[in-house]
Amino acid sequence: MSVPPVHDLVALLIVIPLVAGLLSLAVINSRFWSRAIGVSSILLTLGLALGLLLQLTANGGDVLVSEMGNWKAPFGIVVIYDSLSGILVTAAMVTALAAYLHSFSSLDPGVERRYFHPLFQFLLVGVNLSFVTGDLFNLFVGYEVMLMASYALLTIGSGRAQLRQAYKYVLLNVLAGTILLMSAGMTYGMFGTLNMADLARIIAEIEADPTRELPAGFTALSVMLLLVFAVKGAFFPLWFWLPDTYYTLPIAIGGLFGGLLTKVGVYTIVRLFPGVFASDGAGGSSDVIAVTLAITAGVTMFLGVLGAVSQHRVRKILAVHVISQVGYMAAGIAVAVWVDRGAVLGGQLTGRTIAAFAIGGCVFHMVHNIIVKCALFLCCGLMEKHAGTDDLDKLGGLLKRDVFLAVLFFIAAMSLVGFPPLSGFGGKIVIIQAGWSNLWVLSVLGLLTGALTLLSMLKIWSYGFWNPDQAPVARQPSHVKATNRSAYLGVALLVAIALFLGFGSEAVYEIAFNAGDQIADRTAYIEAVLGPEGIANLDGPAPVDAPATTQPAEVLP
Amino acid sequence: MTLIVSVCVAVIFGTSIYLMLSKELKSVAMGVFLLGHAANLCILAQSGSPLIVGDDGMVESVKRPPILGQGEPAAAPLDLLVDPLPQALILTAIVISFGVMAFLLTLLVKTSRSQGTLDLDELARPAEADDPPVPVLSEDDENRTTHGPQPDRGNDPERGEPA
Repeated sequence: MSVPPVHDLVALLIVIPLVAGLLSLAVINSRFWSRAIGVSSILLTLGLALGLLLQLTANGGDVLVSEMGNWKAPFGIVVIYDSLSGILVTAAMVTALAAYLHSFSSLDPGVERRYFHPLFQFLLVGVNLSFVTGDLFNLFVGYEVMLMASYALLTIGSGRAQLRQAYKYVLLNVLAGTILLMSAGMTYGMFGTLNMADLARIIAEIEADPTRELPAGFTALSVMLLLVFAVKGAFFPLWFWLPDTYYTLPIAIGGLFGGLLTKVGVYTIVRLFPGVFASDGAGGSSDVIAVTLAITAGVTMFLGVLGAVSQHRVRKILAVHVISQVGYMAAGIAVAVWVDRGAVLGGQLTGRTIAAFAIGGCVFHMVHNIIVKCALFLCCGLMEKHAGTDDLDKLGGLLKRDVFLAVLFFIAAMSLVGFPPLSGFGGKIVIIQAGWSNLWVLSVLGLLTGALTLLSMLKIWSYGFWNPDQAPVARQPSHVKATNRSAYLGVALLVAIALFLGFGSEAVYEIAFNAGDQIADRTAYIEAVLGPEGIANLDGPAPVDAPATTQPAEVLP
Repeated sequence: MTLIVSVCVAVIFGTSIYLMLSKELKSVAMGVFLLGHAANLCILAQSGSPLIVGDDGMVESVKRPPILGQGEPAAAPLDLLVDPLPQALILTAIVISFGVMAFLLTLLVKTSRSQGTLDLDELARPAEADDPPVPVLSEDDENRTTHGPQPDRGNDPERGEPA
């Protein structure tokens, strides 16, 4: 069977940064060529991701599948590009472009020459692989590639504090990676497959067939996987590594990490949990997962924002804030898993519709947060350029010194808070609405968190920008503006995208809700990967002489 | 057989976590090394027992390597051959854990050279102060950020002006 070539372009999302990374190793001593290769790689990948995304959206939420070496799906390796992967890869590439541009003016040349350029590309390889992979083991590989690059980026310019934090980050992630590896092995032991679509098919068939049960230990496996992704996503009890490490990073790298890396963990939960590892079949895990996620989400967003308000340095406020925002996404997934219990794949129950809605909100919020969080970090980098510090007590008068930066920061901050026309509103309103009738506690917490987010952003605004006391001038404003053009360009790019997400949210909603539908009802995904025979038995056991082929699974209390 | 492997996995995992909780970074590195082995063994156990048990409950023989085309019956080859896929997974995982280990050891060497200690308490003590700036050695004013960690160039063979 020959595959139409457009499908196979998906693999280039991984190949382009990989080749660029290797090429920039060869020209490591030339700053110009390193940067040229880096920028063209990111632009190419971004163009490809955007083109594929627009194409599949025009087809009403297509799923592009590329089989490596033409080996058929459950046996060979597949990379899959659907609405969920597509919108996240695109957002990731935009963020990468902005952070990369910012690094031209903000990164220490010593750090830059120590393999920053290849490492940056390898990080993108890992991120993209994690987003597009269709099988659990390759997910592990993608994670490890991403983590190796992030370990190295974390330690290239290692001062003492940075080294100490690096160990925390490395050890925790090694532990999480090992658990992911074991879980992948156990998944293979239980289901005989590692392909995500095949897993979804097998579990859906078990759910639909009242005579079958999920294997013993399925819940344990689900919880192990959730643990791994919760570490990566910095969920409540497992977030402690994040504020310490992100705070010590050079700001361009910190912006990329803060925007991107936690969302890879959240993405994986969206991809793997609703309906698959949070299954409501007999012996399923959806109760445990739903309750765990709901509690974690509430505590994560609320404690996260309290932590942010209590900080007094811009970097720390932003770093702790990453956690709070992840809580919203977890809330979206929790609502989806919560309402989805008892629904049958392919059925038309309202629970499924709400689940799709909640996942759509979660996806929208993820995209918004990737962009806006990175924009805020990059703004912080420019504030440091002006004042020489990020300590709120020593900042001040930035509004007078640099109106352009103030405007950029204000838009990004208000987007994060979620003032109605801006982008943060779009995701939060959907998540809060979806949770309102089922998990209203989460929705109330979400609203409270929003108010406190406003407080923490106003704290930066009033100390840093509005405060009339001029901080001792570290550098002339005109000098900063003249020497940091690429940094301003990066921030402006992200703020423009954030404005688009707010005012053009219609288009983004369409993609996000496509993604939500595909996650809540995986029939299309399974059919795209496994072919029509993959979905033959999804509605229950083969109809011998039973009158109803669709048997509602047991509704759990 | 599976039970023995499970016990081994538990023991190795326990030892590894114990080592990783140590304050001495060399022990931590050993813990990370063992951790990979525990995971690999766990995956190996997923392929089931390698023993072929006869009808009388006695062990008849062990399964053969998974190479077809040597006269085996095509039906149900996994009753006679070991499952190759977990081994393929382990192979990949070993390579990755080698990479992680190499990185960790490099980090240890760098830490001990630049900080003179491998004890986490020692590393933590002077950095308790909130602000971690280290004097900037670069002459290039443009890239001097007065805040934030700076690279130590103590052992950098490439020290000097940027390209």
